[in-house]
Amino acid sequence: MTQTFYAITWTDVFVSLIFVAISIGLIRWWRIGLEKTLLVGTFRTFIQLTAMGYILTYFFQQRHWTFMVGLISLMIIIASYEGYRRLKIYHIPNIFWIILGSFFFTVFIVLGIILKFILSVEPWYYPYAMIPISGMIIGNALTSTTLTVNRFVSEINHRENEIEMYLSLGAPIKAAVHNSFMESVRAALLPNINSLMMVGLVQLPGIMTGQILSGIDPLIAVRYQIMIMYMWISTATMVDILVLNLVYRQFFTSQMQLKRELLRRS
Amino acid sequence: MPNSTVFKLTDVNYFVEDLKILQNISLNINSNDFFVLLGPSGSGKSTLLRMLNCLNSPTSGEIFFHNKHIKEFDIIQLRKRVGFVFQSPTMVKGTVKENLTLTQNWSKEDNVFSDSELIEMLEQVGLNSKFLAKDAKSLSGGEQQRIALARVLLNKPEVLLLDEPTANLDPQLAQKILELVFNLYKEFNLTVVLVSHHHQIIKQFSKKVMYLIDGKIAETGNAAIIDAPRNVATKAFIDKESK
Repeated sequence: MTQTFYAITWTDVFVSLIFVAISIGLIRWWRIGLEKTLLVGTFRTFIQLTAMGYILTYFFQQRHWTFMVGLISLMIIIASYEGYRRLKIYHIPNIFWIILGSFFFTVFIVLGIILKFILSVEPWYYPYAMIPISGMIIGNALTSTTLTVNRFVSEINHRENEIEMYLSLGAPIKAAVHNSFMESVRAALLPNINSLMMVGLVQLPGIMTGQILSGIDPLIAVRYQIMIMYMWISTATMVDILVLNLVYRQFFTSQMQLKRELLRRS
Repeated sequence: MPNSTVFKLTDVNYFVEDLKILQNISLNINSNDFFVLLGPSGSGKSTLLRMLNCLNSPTSGEIFFHNKHIKEFDIIQLRKRVGFVFQSPTMVKGTVKENLTLTQNWSKEDNVFSDSELIEMLEQVGLNSKFLAKDAKSLSGGEQQRIALARVLLNKPEVLLLDEPTANLDPQLAQKILELVFNLYKEFNLTVVLVSHHHQIIKQFSKKVMYLIDGKIAETGNAAIIDAPRNVATKAFIDKESK
């Protein structure tokens, strides 16, 4: 089988602006009023991704493990801060440290399994494997954490009476929040599980499409995609359960009392 | 021989930021008391009751249970000994049986109930065996309150705290539930602390009455003070409620 590699040039990229032009045309025609925002978005996409390309090229040239570990740690810290920023409205004590610790643990486990046992990368810090995979794990962990904590806060607000009923009967905190915990993890995992059900039936995943367009054998691209799908579900499950295990305790005092004032503030 | 002290509160205060919910509360609740807390909404009655189940802790002051500081107890064991029935009964998704046996979810060794034990308890609260398989959430407010009572009693508490258990019920049903509570109090030899606003209904049951107004004890005595309050604030509150 002949592999075809469609190398996209900067001129081709500029030609793709035709899609933006179509959108702007339609927006103007229907007087939706988003032209300026769309133009800013178009410009930012170009600048941000081009900059990212140069940065990645620089990173891919590095060949020392300390650099890679430093880079991944920095990515985790930035993602944890983003998670904290999205969730700070709930005033959950220690939330930044909870996210940071959970992300480090999850990335260590998932990345370790992939680099050591699946791709058998040598050396283990080879940037072409480590950087994109870490990026995917961290991005997935961030999305899932935000979803699950948002849902958990909403659940315990909604179930305040139920939780106190459990506590008053002599339930440990874990049993009192079990229903909230379960619903939150389910809500965060279901989109991932639905993806497992639907992948390949309705649309080709973006990563696989990108690989095929770059000339990779579709069967190899598919194998990567399968691994990534399994990695996503594992990352989401691990990080959700870990984060919630640390988060739910923040809503109770040492006397096993629900911090109702924290619920009011959230 | 006088009854032993079950709860002793000394100079208990509870503040939420600048809001003084309870101020300088000192009282004794003795074993086998049927102790009724009365007072207007927001007077701190429910907060006081919650403190006895350790759902809230005082900002300052001490609470003793059987002459031992409440903080020295294992909280789970304390809560099992001091049952709490809330104003609005909370039923979880599932049958009445699943609701009655909730405690099995975390403590299998102490809480395995046979169907005959559950039916006996249902009968104690005025229901029957047919209820076991019913969907708990579809029951009426009065039936749910009876299930909530049964669920607490299955823990075999020595103290029963009830936070306006009849607030959402019509007067006839309220009377029936209070009669039921009084019968259970005698049957199980319980100490009962009840928050209520049904002055006239409650006086036939109560042994001790305490009026809380603006977070302070306004008046304490036997049921006779409902008809003849000595305190001006209590009198004003009773007059307002009677209108």
